[in-house]
Amino acid sequence: MKRRGRGIACMLYPVGATSYPNPGSAFVKVNPDGTAVVFAGATDVGQGSTTVLAQIAAEALGVEFAAITMVTADTEHTPYDFGSVASRVTYVVGNAVRQAAHQAKQVFLAAAAEVLKLDVSGLDSAAGWVYAKGFPERRLPVAEAAARAYALSGRPPLGASTFNAATTFLDPETGHGKPYPCYVFATQIAEVEVDTETGEVVVVSIAAAHDCGRAVNPLLVEGQIEGGIAQGLGYGLLEEMVLEEGKVKNDQLVDYVIPTMCDMPEMRLAIVEEPEPTGPYGAKGIGEPSLLPTAPAILNAIYDAVGVRIRELPATPGKILAALQDMRVPSERGPS
Amino acid sequence: MEFAVVGKRIPRHDAVSHVTGRTLYGVDIVRPRMLHARILRSPHAHARIVAVDVSRASRLPGVCAITAADVPCNRYGFTHVDQPVLADDRVRHRGDAVAAVAAPTPERADEALQAIKVEYEPLPAIFDPIAALGPDAPRVHGDTNVAARVNIRYGDIERGWQESHEIIEETFRTQMVEHCHLEPHAALAELDSRGVLTVHASVQRPFLIAADLSKILGLPMNRIRVIAAAVGGGFGGKNEITMEPIVCLLALKAGRPVKAVYSREEEFQATTVRHPYIITCRTGLKREGALVARQVSILSDTGAYVSWGAWTLSKASIHAAGPYNIPHVKTEGVLVYTNNCVGGAMRGFGVPQVAFAYESHTDTLAEAVGLDPVEFRLKNMMKDGCVLPTGQVLDKVTLQQTVVRAVGLARPEEDRTP
Amino acid sequence: MPDLAFVLNERPVEIEVAPHALLVDVLRDHLGHTGTKVGCGTGECGACTVLLDGRPVNSCLVLAVRVGGRRVVTIEGLAADGGLHPLQQAFMDHGAVQCGYCTPGMILSAKALLDTCPAPSEAEIREGMAGNLCRCTGYAKIVQAIGAVAHALACSSRTASPGA
Ligand code: FES
Ligand code: FES
Repeated sequence: MKRRGRGIACMLYPVGATSYPNPGSAFVKVNPDGTAVVFAGATDVGQGSTTVLAQIAAEALGVEFAAITMVTADTEHTPYDFGSVASRVTYVVGNAVRQAAHQAKQVFLAAAAEVLKLDVSGLDSAAGWVYAKGFPERRLPVAEAAARAYALSGRPPLGASTFNAATTFLDPETGHGKPYPCYVFATQIAEVEVDTETGEVVVVSIAAAHDCGRAVNPLLVEGQIEGGIAQGLGYGLLEEMVLEEGKVKNDQLVDYVIPTMCDMPEMRLAIVEEPEPTGPYGAKGIGEPSLLPTAPAILNAIYDAVGVRIRELPATPGKILAALQDMRVPSERGPS
Repeated sequence: MEFAVVGKRIPRHDAVSHVTGRTLYGVDIVRPRMLHARILRSPHAHARIVAVDVSRASRLPGVCAITAADVPCNRYGFTHVDQPVLADDRVRHRGDAVAAVAAPTPERADEALQAIKVEYEPLPAIFDPIAALGPDAPRVHGDTNVAARVNIRYGDIERGWQESHEIIEETFRTQMVEHCHLEPHAALAELDSRGVLTVHASVQRPFLIAADLSKILGLPMNRIRVIAAAVGGGFGGKNEITMEPIVCLLALKAGRPVKAVYSREEEFQATTVRHPYIITCRTGLKREGALVARQVSILSDTGAYVSWGAWTLSKASIHAAGPYNIPHVKTEGVLVYTNNCVGGAMRGFGVPQVAFAYESHTDTLAEAVGLDPVEFRLKNMMKDGCVLPTGQVLDKVTLQQTVVRAVGLARPEEDRTP
Repeated sequence: MPDLAFVLNERPVEIEVAPHALLVDVLRDHLGHTGTKVGCGTGECGACTVLLDGRPVNSCLVLAVRVGGRRVVTIEGLAADGGLHPLQQAFMDHGAVQCGYCTPGMILSAKALLDTCPAPSEAEIREGMAGNLCRCTGYAKIVQAIGAVAHALACSSRTASPGA
């Protein structure tokens, strides 16, 4: 018989490495034609950090996304970064990029101020134009402002910045301290179908609502959530390294099974945007947290479906069948 | 506030190069005259190394071989400096590297590996993390297998038990898993025209790799350059040095570029994995369902070396009580050495393990007091101004919003409200 | 060493290969076509997928000598005249690419799928693509991208055929 059930799981997760300073830094240079190069130590491991940092730089400089070139992850050519870990790159390196871009922008705004005959504090830039705040018709292309900064002011628009969140170490006795700058939150609800004959579980759907602060790029945020759910599903149902005397018995993808396209449920996502005042444009992070609620939501759904509580991951058909049998035994004896 | 670029669904900047196959990952980088490296690994989970003889391998044409004796500083690690680049006194798990070779072709490198002779004296090994705590358990390092402890206390747990109407305890176990990034670890080392040792590697933390290489090789940091190539997935698996010091030493010795790529077997056996945890949650609550006290104990198997084990345990311990408002909390984490695979960083850094435990446990508690799982959570969850067991005060807590949104999405399509 | 002659991305190639050489190694190491990836080397992940006479094969399992006289298409051969193939464009637009390591194999498998089954259901897409692993995306956007191309093909063939 096939039985359906639903399970919920919530979580909170911090942004940044625990306690230790984990700075990120960036250099920004604006070219005389209004394009810009951003140098940042952060590595894009597929999560899309380089794209997000380029978006932050474009926003901060007031230029088009296409005007940004990124140079990343080279210990000689880019400034220090702690690394692509701890869901920290958007928040930490994003802040550094934003600040460095802001510095470079002040230089070309100053050059524009001379042309527009306005105080620099009255100027801003967007979409490739320097304009007077509150009177956008008074404007000048960023390219022209940047060119003037080089050729007439003799001051190429450059910026350099570092960001490090204020954290403390934990007291060794009590464990008290402030190890992280901020937190994200999430809830996932899994719907499963359990075959009581075979113990097989099909995950029918996952509803996932994640707070990541401001979503700098919703397309990439969704990708992180969906990918996290896949890893969470693998963790909950499929994956396990089997060791015998320290030797991994299933050391190939043939016998260590990760989710395929057929294992993945329908995913319904909601991004809950609560801007974080200390984050770049309110952004926090999403990389790791997306997989946290998936396995417990699925296991809670299995319990809801068939009344079996699996306390050892992964919830394989074998474990579920065995638990179902244990459950049947007393009832077969009849009420005592 | 409206933004021009932030908040937009922009395709990745490198999407064109990815979809056309032009992206060069660590595994794709090659150089003329490049040698191929292979690493000899321990066949024992625990053994004393009596002798390593690479002389026959070194005599093969074009082959260059190294052992621990070639490593200037043969220990590294972040919180615990306990891991060798190439094992010297002992091997402590089957992934330990004992020697390495570089050769003009992969086939010749394999042949050279076969020609290395290592004499071992097998030692008793320990694989069970609970047994590893016993007084007579074989020791992996020093005179205790306890590598680290984390304690967090908030409120007064004894008072919490007294104030509880019901106390429920459950134990959970999580398994060892691998990152399985599709691109294996890969690294190429070469001297550039200035004499700077340049390493192209598939890594998440180039600056950490460079710092560790500087210490291991005894070279100043301005003579080392690490470039993270395009990385074909990491998930925490590419957070520390693996073969980088080995290809560097071989490249320096051979005077030619040297490259290594891990096999899938090496990915499983020799790189870090997610720590298996044994987690006991004991919770006291009021009759009407309010959480009063929680004690969580965690036993983490870090395998042969600590790597990120102490740090993951601390993140796990901080979050082990979950996103709930509990006046009295006590968490005790213990990190134990065994002769298993080395636990390291993996997406979530210890928290997926405890999240599985606390969220399964939450459903058990809800049922015990006769509340619906959603209702029970809403009743007990953290809100603005709530305090974590570390004493950190939370703000902008959107948990409740995420519950409401997820519940809405989980409804059948016809009655989903926008 | 035997000479091997085959057609790679519409161009004839001739190369000497060892009898036991695998197609993936010949493509990557000898012909510099590194768009074909290796994830497992055991036929499990699909990262090494290429089209052999139009059909998808795991090039890590194919002996190079077996492709003599046949047509091989790799990811480098998909973008015609500098423009992107609709699948390449759709993978970009739908965010179906993260680290990108599975992407060449995914796109080639998807092409083969749409060539044989131009209007697949979502279930047919998932079934047809189950041999290609991705550790990053959770597959949702890959399925959407393939579905979108299938849909666009269906629409364009409907407008193209006057009787429809
Ligand atoms: S490399 Fe060929 S299927 Fe994985
Ligand atoms: S995008 Fe990374 S494996 Fe698919």
